[in-house]
Amino acid sequence: MARKWQSAAKVKAGVGGSVSADKTLLQSIVKHRTLYLMFLPVAAYYVIFRYWPIALAWIVAFKDLRLGMSVLDSEWVGWANFKVMFDDPEIVNVLMNTVEISLLRLIVGFVPPIVLAIMFHDLASKRLRSWLQSAVYIPHFFSWVIIFGIVFAFFSTGSGFVNNVLERFGLERYEFFLSEGWFRPILVGSALWKEIGWSTIIYLAALSTVDPQLYEAARIDGAGPLRRIVSITLPGILSVITFVLCLSLGNILFAGGEQILLFYNKAVLDTADVIETWVYREGLGRLQFSIGTAVGIFQSFIGMVVIVISNALAKRYTGRGIW
Amino acid sequence: MHYKSASERTYQIVIHLIVISVAISAVFPLLYVIGMSLTTKAEMIARNYFVIIPLEPTLEAYKRLLASPVIWNSFVVSTGRAVVGPLLTLLLTTIGAYVLAQRTLPGRGIFLFFILATILFNGGLIPTYLVIKNLGLIDSYWSLILPIMVDSFGLLVIKIFIENLPDGLTESAKIDGAGEWSMLLRIIIPLAAPALAAIGLFNLVAHWNSWFDALLYLNDKQMYPLQMVLKNMLTIDSVSGDSMNAVLKSSQSISTETLKMAAVVIGIIPVLCVYPFLQKHFVKGMYMGSVKG
Repeated sequence: MARKWQSAAKVKAGVGGSVSADKTLLQSIVKHRTLYLMFLPVAAYYVIFRYWPIALAWIVAFKDLRLGMSVLDSEWVGWANFKVMFDDPEIVNVLMNTVEISLLRLIVGFVPPIVLAIMFHDLASKRLRSWLQSAVYIPHFFSWVIIFGIVFAFFSTGSGFVNNVLERFGLERYEFFLSEGWFRPILVGSALWKEIGWSTIIYLAALSTVDPQLYEAARIDGAGPLRRIVSITLPGILSVITFVLCLSLGNILFAGGEQILLFYNKAVLDTADVIETWVYREGLGRLQFSIGTAVGIFQSFIGMVVIVISNALAKRYTGRGIW
Repeated sequence: MHYKSASERTYQIVIHLIVISVAISAVFPLLYVIGMSLTTKAEMIARNYFVIIPLEPTLEAYKRLLASPVIWNSFVVSTGRAVVGPLLTLLLTTIGAYVLAQRTLPGRGIFLFFILATILFNGGLIPTYLVIKNLGLIDSYWSLILPIMVDSFGLLVIKIFIENLPDGLTESAKIDGAGEWSMLLRIIIPLAAPALAAIGLFNLVAHWNSWFDALLYLNDKQMYPLQMVLKNMLTIDSVSGDSMNAVLKSSQSISTETLKMAAVVIGIIPVLCVYPFLQKHFVKGMYMGSVKG
């Protein structure tokens, strides 16, 4: 059998397209059967762990699934779960928080990595540059649990570094973790600390393809550092900036639930609760499966629509999108 | 001419100052946490908790934590998932990429579409939980491994890599009678090794750092990975009566804060140990992914 395949491959390699042209689809499928067999476990993974949950989501969101009931037995309720989502003031607050926090993340987290990447790119001493890069990448590899531990070391009331400094200057120790006003700045600030270095890589990769002669020519023409940034560096990373912006917009309803789940507590729930934390705590924890699933579908669906729209806009105005 | 070089010099000074201070702010918190973890209770109180470099360092906190079987147990669990998980991921992801890189394969476009679609859309937390439950994976270590067994993004990166290999390479191997498996093992995997290393390390870090899946799918606290144990030690809402509370109780010589900081350091050290490899392969992998993809 294997010999027959080898000869088929030889014929194909020798004669080129003419043999494969008159092969039917069925013959082609039979010919590739080893490949299909190899692919089987991968396909099974996608069916079981990716598409089964998606199918289940679209069923459960339109049913009233309760504890002790199977998905099949439970009653169809149409759009009722989605209506609850927009009528319940608690969920509406959660949706607002989600948008606010993810916009805050976008505003705070978007520009600094670009600025840092440009500075790394322009740094005259290359050896120092690679040392500094190694330093700023480190926090990216820590888990959110570790990040919370570090934030605790700085902001805890009894022993936190910031409170120690406050006290040194004769000020009162402050309960940062119980403060509604401080929750979001600490959340977004620590996320910026974790990711600012790592986020520069995608820009630096783009900048590594810019022709160094452009800078040389600009220098000879008398262009200063800022002028070179505006005329050479920024145009060089514009498409990457667009790419990152599109992806961030697509995450507008994903506010970083994993981090918030670690950082929040009852005292700051009103400003801290977002879709992901709500779905975990109320949807899963209090067995409101159907509403939780409807909220999840809404979140995923809006994200997809926003990515498609922002990609279309990016293509139209910059000539390059994600796909 | 003189003016111009002055502006260049000013620019270099400014960006050096900014970049160096960003780098210091990335590293200083780690040094502070390490310092705290080595401080005695007496020194904490004497210096009103404002300690950056302890004068009489002590390893007491580490001795206490490492004497706890809970920590060791969770360390073994985390190591186990961080080895088995990425190996399985690499295996399936490479096979998937190899198959989908065959341009003549009927149905290739449909498969690719369905894989790409899962990057944009997913079932969400609750349906995924219900599936894991229906499969009987609650309180099984497989619940931490199977749901993230294929890396869709990595699959696309390797697929593009294989497609960009020169045609002659694969053609001649086929003429020499190489089957699909030997093709994959002898030609594709050695060539794609750097990309595979990057994807393997990426998944290793993801597994090591993951705690939310353990929170969802494991009820048995004995089975918790390290990050979950650390979470229970560190977070404010941590449930009283937890097995770690006994470990965290302050004693004559060290305070609870010191123990918590030592726990953070225990979580950091393994990451710092593999960091040189991470940096080398990750950065290469990121460049590859972003330039080609």
